[in-house]
Amino acid sequence: MSLSSLVPLIGVSDVVVGLSLGSRLFLIAVGLSLIFGVLGVLNFAHGGLYMLGAYVTLAVVTGVIDNFWIAALAGALAVGVVGAAIEFAAIRPLYDRIDADLDQLIVTFGFVLIIHETVRFVWGSGSYSVDPPALFDFSVSLGGSTFGAYRLVVIGLAVAVLAGLWLFITRTYFGSLVRGTSSDREMASMLGVDVPRLYTAVFFLGSVLAGLGGALSAPLQSTSPALGDQVIIDAFIVVVIGGLGSMTGAFVGAMLIGMMQSLGPQFISAGSIAIPFLAMVIVLLFRPEGLFGGIGE
Amino acid sequence: MSATDTGGRVRKFGSAVADGWTRERFGLLGALGLVLLAFGPSFQIYLFTDFLVVALFALGFNLLYGYTGLLSFGHGLFYAGGAYGLAIVLRDLGPVFADVVGSGVAPLVTFVVGGLVGLALVVAVAVPVGWLSVRLEEIYFALITLAFGMIGYSLIIQDPAGLTNGTDGIIVLLGSVDVGGESFRIGARQTYYALTVVVVLAAIYGVWRVVNSPFGTVCKAIRESPDRAAALGIDVRHHRWMTFIISAAIVGIAGVLRAGLASVASPGLTHWSTSAVAVIATVIGGATYFSGPIVGAFIFLYIRWGISRFPTLDAYWELFFGALLIGVVLYFKAGAVGGLLLLRDRLFGEGRAGGDDGPTQGGGGAAEPGSSGDRADDRGDDS
Amino acid sequence: MSSENRSSVGRRRFLQAAGAGTAVALAGCSGGGGDDVVRLGATYILSGFASLYGEAAERGLEMAQSEINDNGGIDGRDVEVIVRDTEASADTAIQQMRSLVEEDNVDGLFGLDSSGVAQAVAPQAAELGIPYMITHAATPFVTSPEGEHENSVGNDYVFRDANNLAQDMYGAAQTAAELDATEWATIGPDYAFGYETWDYFQDFCAGLGVDAEFTAEQFPPLTTGDYTPYISSILDAEPDAVITPLWGADLTTFVGQAEDAGWFDQIDHTLFSVGMGTDLASDGSPLPEGEYASTRYDPFVPDTEANNSFRETYYEEHETLPTYNAEGAYRALYLYKEAIESAGGTDPDAIVDEFTGMEHSGPVGDYRFSEKNQATVPAIWGTVTYDDEWESNVLDPVNVYDANPDEMADALADSDLPTGV
Repeated sequence: MSLSSLVPLIGVSDVVVGLSLGSRLFLIAVGLSLIFGVLGVLNFAHGGLYMLGAYVTLAVVTGVIDNFWIAALAGALAVGVVGAAIEFAAIRPLYDRIDADLDQLIVTFGFVLIIHETVRFVWGSGSYSVDPPALFDFSVSLGGSTFGAYRLVVIGLAVAVLAGLWLFITRTYFGSLVRGTSSDREMASMLGVDVPRLYTAVFFLGSVLAGLGGALSAPLQSTSPALGDQVIIDAFIVVVIGGLGSMTGAFVGAMLIGMMQSLGPQFISAGSIAIPFLAMVIVLLFRPEGLFGGIGE
Repeated sequence: MSATDTGGRVRKFGSAVADGWTRERFGLLGALGLVLLAFGPSFQIYLFTDFLVVALFALGFNLLYGYTGLLSFGHGLFYAGGAYGLAIVLRDLGPVFADVVGSGVAPLVTFVVGGLVGLALVVAVAVPVGWLSVRLEEIYFALITLAFGMIGYSLIIQDPAGLTNGTDGIIVLLGSVDVGGESFRIGARQTYYALTVVVVLAAIYGVWRVVNSPFGTVCKAIRESPDRAAALGIDVRHHRWMTFIISAAIVGIAGVLRAGLASVASPGLTHWSTSAVAVIATVIGGATYFSGPIVGAFIFLYIRWGISRFPTLDAYWELFFGALLIGVVLYFKAGAVGGLLLLRDRLFGEGRAGGDDGPTQGGGGAAEPGSSGDRADDRGDDS
Repeated sequence: MSSENRSSVGRRRFLQAAGAGTAVALAGCSGGGGDDVVRLGATYILSGFASLYGEAAERGLEMAQSEINDNGGIDGRDVEVIVRDTEASADTAIQQMRSLVEEDNVDGLFGLDSSGVAQAVAPQAAELGIPYMITHAATPFVTSPEGEHENSVGNDYVFRDANNLAQDMYGAAQTAAELDATEWATIGPDYAFGYETWDYFQDFCAGLGVDAEFTAEQFPPLTTGDYTPYISSILDAEPDAVITPLWGADLTTFVGQAEDAGWFDQIDHTLFSVGMGTDLASDGSPLPEGEYASTRYDPFVPDTEANNSFRETYYEEHETLPTYNAEGAYRALYLYKEAIESAGGTDPDAIVDEFTGMEHSGPVGDYRFSEKNQATVPAIWGTVTYDDEWESNVLDPVNVYDANPDEMADALADSDLPTGV
């Protein structure tokens, strides 16, 4: 008996599915990581913002213009505005407190509840599905398995977002301000950076990423008010494993968890959903800065 | 001061109240209230029992948050631990106890043993989980406790050991005790209420003693400044670990009571959203006060119940608590207890008994836990 | 986009209720329970992944309520229904039922969508001494008297007016017998209902002599966002046919992702055991034509006056065919009407006595309550077909399997599972 008959084979499909799950996780988590890296705020409401992105996309696609990409952009921007408003009204007053971290966590948790109920009020409790953009609404066969083409598109989009963000942070003036402020806020302030405004800008950007994530993932999931609560926990796992504040880390962490989720059902049944949390605990204990540390890395 | 001076009259009334209404009288009145409630409408007894359980849950949680500054988002793990300990013993060992002690008192024996097993289980889990968790602080502590809670949730719903009955949870039926021809149901509304009152009051008293012991003083010193405490030769991590275990045990007791009250031990108890209930109650009530979580639990449950009487609002009760939570953290971190004390000071004149002053505002709730409310200043006996 | 219409209907109804709701709430607060109305409590899933079930049930019960009240009420008294959300949680369901009984003084309860919740609730009905007419939750263990099996929680107070899982799987095994498939797999939700479906299906296949092997199983947690890994795992096992009890939004999500993965090209037959619960009107990812689905009530069978007029009235109002959850809730009100009228009052034990062994007739047809309090309704399986006239999926052709309690018991003779009939 050869080894290959004992070990279930990891097929092309497992890899593609894993990467697409990971891409979705990356889109969920990257904004959270950015905000934490620069502001030191762990935004509990990030999952809610992600969900809001999916709902706004849905609303635009059904009510305004039947173009997925425009709707997704509208969703991302709308969520960015909501996020900036949250930062300005409820997080900014807390930066100077002794317990700032925990107070911010609690306040953003308050927004988890508010966003959840607002979504229920506006869109009801039912769940919706969003069709993929017509261009990619077909199946492709690859290595004996079949996938929705959009699943492959999402992998590309995740890579594009990572690359775009990296360029933005390393190659632009705004990016250099962000990097400077995240490594030394006092110094940046003394050098004339308007730190509060920069913070709001970064929170806006992080929220845009949350909204974009929700919008782009909408065709892969069902959109219901429970979505925010489900994804925020995934986002926490990803950013902790990758390193709070690190973009590359978020990407690698997301891909790791995605592969775990893809292979889990075939290898282990009982206890499989505990594994990502276990990984989170281990990373927190032995490498609290995550597998990758620091913004822009 | 003229007789028409209302301020003076109010002040006079205030001092009369303060002089005459001693703590003993308040205690007596409270006890009378608890007894009277037992004869109230059945659902009100149920609701109040629920409040007592949630209050104990939040109080246990706040031992860690309010007294050592560690915010746990995973205390649902211990809430569930107590509940499942009881549920599993009731399900699997009920018949065994019936054989040993006779079927008459077996339900009571099983309940007591189940409760103790639940508590032991919680402590057994809290010792390693606490030991690992207290290595971290602030956000990282919140995250690791959240992860531990979700590990518990995953294991309960996937049930690899075949003990927890997965997503459906375990039905908890407490049974009837027959002694000398008399029969009573442990789960009967009034019986269970009486039992809960006794256990919860005893547990609150226990926490009170801990808080006002030298151990509690050290905890507060750690909260104020971990570095300074360490410089004084205090083993910060060890103290936090011990507090973590005590805190978990208190929450475990609440979990045991929860299972009996709800008649089911369900996996939702370990979910982070259940852990968040303790956070909401504590923050709303005022984390810096001993009685904060209790008052917060009261507000949480009774407002929720009030909202539930209006079908149009019922579906959106979370919205209200979200807004309340944000408002309290932003503008009034002293919470409801702080508000009540402020109100008392306004009405009855300031500067009475030292320590009654509300905690300083803003600045991240720097007030010393237990420095006010409940006359925590009586803790002079600990040196 | 699925469910947009439904949600807005639900919201409109919500707003309409705003005025009346306050009055009801106040009456409830003050102890309520005047003798001028018969008050019933209903518990359904109104939020979360299966909220469509609760909404369908509400439509059914509101229809029965207005019919009854327009025709002289119950012994001259209007019937009032208070609907509460179980959130698909046993904990919440029990709390809601205690509140309904002790605060709102309801005369009887009905509802329940989830098997797990039903098992926890059943003992509470006996404890509170209130009749409970289950209209959807299908676990056989709530109509299997305590002691019959270790999971049995049946008691005198709990009844069910819809068919149970054992009856449904009895029909599924007979459907399987007619298909050209030997290797079977399942993908079901990770709780009692998912596991029981698979257990009963296997045991009925064995008991009825169906030539079947059972080769793969996957039980993803409820509200899984992406079923693709589980789908791949089943596809890798290459079964001929699959039976799936996924339901609610989970089913919608699953069907979409299964289509993307080429499921319906690779698997010869898929049996959806809860398929017609919400799918009829859904345009999100409807069940593919040519697959098999069961229902607990079919809007076209039996072809009786009662069924036809129920269907027409419902369609006129909601522009969609009635689902079985609407019919189950609709019928529950008529069951209470009949029981209360012949008992001459709302004494709970008298209602229970009337329900016990009652013979009744409704849109679903003629049936009676067995000695275990289960309605003797048939199993209905059919082929999913899109119907242009109704703009909806229907079952055509449809097979009605008379689920005779004795024959079911014979088929399970070698199994330790109870029929719950």
